[in-house]
Amino acid sequence: MGLVSRRGALALLAALPVSRLAKAETRPVRFGLTAVVVRENIDFFERWSVYLQRWTGRPVTFVQRRSYREIMELLETGELDFAWICGYPLVRHWAAGYLDLLAVPLFNGAPLYRSYVIVHERSPYHALADLEGKVFAYSDPDSNSGYLAPRMLMARQGLTPDRFFRLTLFTYSHAETVEAVAKHMADGGAVDSYVWEYLERNREGLTGRTRIIERSATFGFPPIVARRDGDPALAAAMRKALLRMPENEEGRRLLAALMLDGFAEADIDLFEDIAIMARDIAAISRI
Amino acid sequence: MKPRHPRYWSLSVKLPVTLAAVVMAVAVTIGLALLVQERQRIRSELEGKALLAASSVASNAAEPMMRSDYWALFKILEQTAAVSDRGATRLIVSGMVLDRDGRVMAHLDPEKNPIGLFFGGSEPDRGARVMDLLRARRPAVLWTRGEEFVEGAYPIMANDGLLGMAVLRLSTSEIRSRTLAATLTIFGIAVTLAAVGSAIGAFISGRMVRPLHWLAEAMGTVAKGEPMPAPRVRGHHHDEIGLLLKAFDAMARDLEEKRRLEKELATGEKLVALGRIAAGVAHEINNPLAGLLNSIDTIEKFPHDRSLFDRYLPLIKNGLHRIQSIVRSLLVELRVEGESGRATGECLDDVRDLIRAEIQDRPIRLTWSNALACDALLQCRRVQQAVMNLLKNAVDAVGDEGCIDFHAYADGEDVVIEIRDDGVGVPPENLSRLFDPFFTSKPAGTGLGLWMTYRLIQTMDGTIEVDSEPGRGSLFRIRIPRDIIEETGNDERIAAS
Repeated sequence: MGLVSRRGALALLAALPVSRLAKAETRPVRFGLTAVVVRENIDFFERWSVYLQRWTGRPVTFVQRRSYREIMELLETGELDFAWICGYPLVRHWAAGYLDLLAVPLFNGAPLYRSYVIVHERSPYHALADLEGKVFAYSDPDSNSGYLAPRMLMARQGLTPDRFFRLTLFTYSHAETVEAVAKHMADGGAVDSYVWEYLERNREGLTGRTRIIERSATFGFPPIVARRDGDPALAAAMRKALLRMPENEEGRRLLAALMLDGFAEADIDLFEDIAIMARDIAAISRI
Repeated sequence: MKPRHPRYWSLSVKLPVTLAAVVMAVAVTIGLALLVQERQRIRSELEGKALLAASSVASNAAEPMMRSDYWALFKILEQTAAVSDRGATRLIVSGMVLDRDGRVMAHLDPEKNPIGLFFGGSEPDRGARVMDLLRARRPAVLWTRGEEFVEGAYPIMANDGLLGMAVLRLSTSEIRSRTLAATLTIFGIAVTLAAVGSAIGAFISGRMVRPLHWLAEAMGTVAKGEPMPAPRVRGHHHDEIGLLLKAFDAMARDLEEKRRLEKELATGEKLVALGRIAAGVAHEINNPLAGLLNSIDTIEKFPHDRSLFDRYLPLIKNGLHRIQSIVRSLLVELRVEGESGRATGECLDDVRDLIRAEIQDRPIRLTWSNALACDALLQCRRVQQAVMNLLKNAVDAVGDEGCIDFHAYADGEDVVIEIRDDGVGVPPENLSRLFDPFFTSKPAGTGLGLWMTYRLIQTMDGTIEVDSEPGRGSLFRIRIPRDIIEETGNDERIAAS
């Protein structure tokens, strides 16, 4: 009886994932978005959702949160299946082992981007050093181009980021960092080069009021990640959907809207520079 | 046309203008009162809006403030301002969030008000005022003299602890634009009402003035002695004007009746006078006629008695002369008929020689003063005749000894001739009949001299008056209008009279 009951219990245990899986198949694919893209373009994401649904066979819902951290937590808890995140949180969470690199976008032909330090177009500042005692806008404390990279730039110039500015603020959006600088709310700001270029083309007048005073070296472009313990078939379908985008009409249209050339498979080594920088800045901060 | 003094305006203008002015004044007065009220209402409404906006920002700002989320605060301000945007006009022109120490956490004009710095660095006065508000921890409305905005300030609290303050600045251009709109509306209403008022005034005054106008015309007509025109205004007025018309109508009828009676009376008097003249003529002619007939009878009885001829022929001649003289006197007007000889006032001096001849060598002193200028034209013969008659009477009146004054002068438009004597004078009972024909106090008088004088002066539209007292003498004063004197050919009038 004891055995039977143990077997029964095991059977129950074995049945659990099956029922969970069966349930999971009806639930939409949840795709997290961070400020690495301009998220305000609702129309675009609806079209992209339709495209991805056609390739994965399941409805795709984009999930937005204010900060990177919230998206990372949702990924960690399994509430998201995929997410478009920044290289900085990627390298920080890589070691935890629950993330898989699904694809990395190709921007101007390469999976690379930079961080721009911008000031108001009419301002007298020409270098980071000119911004001492001013107000500086970061995008997100977990952003590479909007936080880590500029701090590294300063550190390399011998400036102490935490004491250098009078005041710093987070906009939690690269687009809004541009806006904050354009509106004089902040004297300077750090933005994702991809977002700045995107705004340059799509939002008349906003970037025109800003001026780039520093450009960082290139880093691995914010990648799309999947949960490692997710449905492998779904992950494969999603990867295929992304990688094949340049090969079909709708995919090309969507890529054009994103100002990207396509998606490529990527290795974690692409983000090595960010990992080093994260280590270095932590060391600097400890001093 | 030169604008005339309102005193000369027609009633049909005055009444609409007055009514329009009164209506306009009332409308404008009420309008202004409403305007002041409306302005006050808009003001307090704006104050309410400012406080509402500030409180809305304050309630949303607490959490980002605690997180030092400057960007979120800025966004809250921006969104609050954007909500208030209506078309081109911006209601919320500025806004800020201050922390409890007065540092700017967010400002809609961050260029001039950098975050992280104390507010009012460039305007210490404003900074001080804002700090007072911050310390007061109470919602407040802030008006700044001479500025086109109102500010609503609302404290940002968290669990009774003061975090800071939201200040929203609202444009007051709305007050101006809405006041202007209200002013235009009120002005429009006032003008419309004034137009309606003047139209009503014109209508009423038309109704009032038409009968008055007719009345004035009718009065003029009646005054000229013409029959009253038929009323052009229907008698449906029962007001004061109606009463006036009725009263005038009655008066005009009475006047007409009186005139008719007077005419009848005048005709009667004329007949009486004519009868008297006829009787006088009959009597005057009858007297010598009786003598004449007697003489002729006697001559007929004794046709061969030449002595009778010598005796009676002179008598017959005398009698006929007397008759001729009477008839001549009666035909005085015919005598001067056809005579339009006019001469200067000097022509009167010819009479002086004639009357000297009449006086002969009697001790009668004649004072002669002719002050008529050379240019005073007279119908000389008539005036000479009249003067001659009066002077003759004067000579008769003074008898053998006395004074006679002749004095002629111009008095305005009139020529005045005065003849004064210190003779017997006229008893008062005779004064009224003095100018009647055949009235005489002289035994040999025909009683036609003064009557003739009277008639002559009448033909020249002149007047003659007498002032006399028995024993002290008489004064005859002739007054002839100069324009009549200067007129030519008025014989027709003489013949007609």
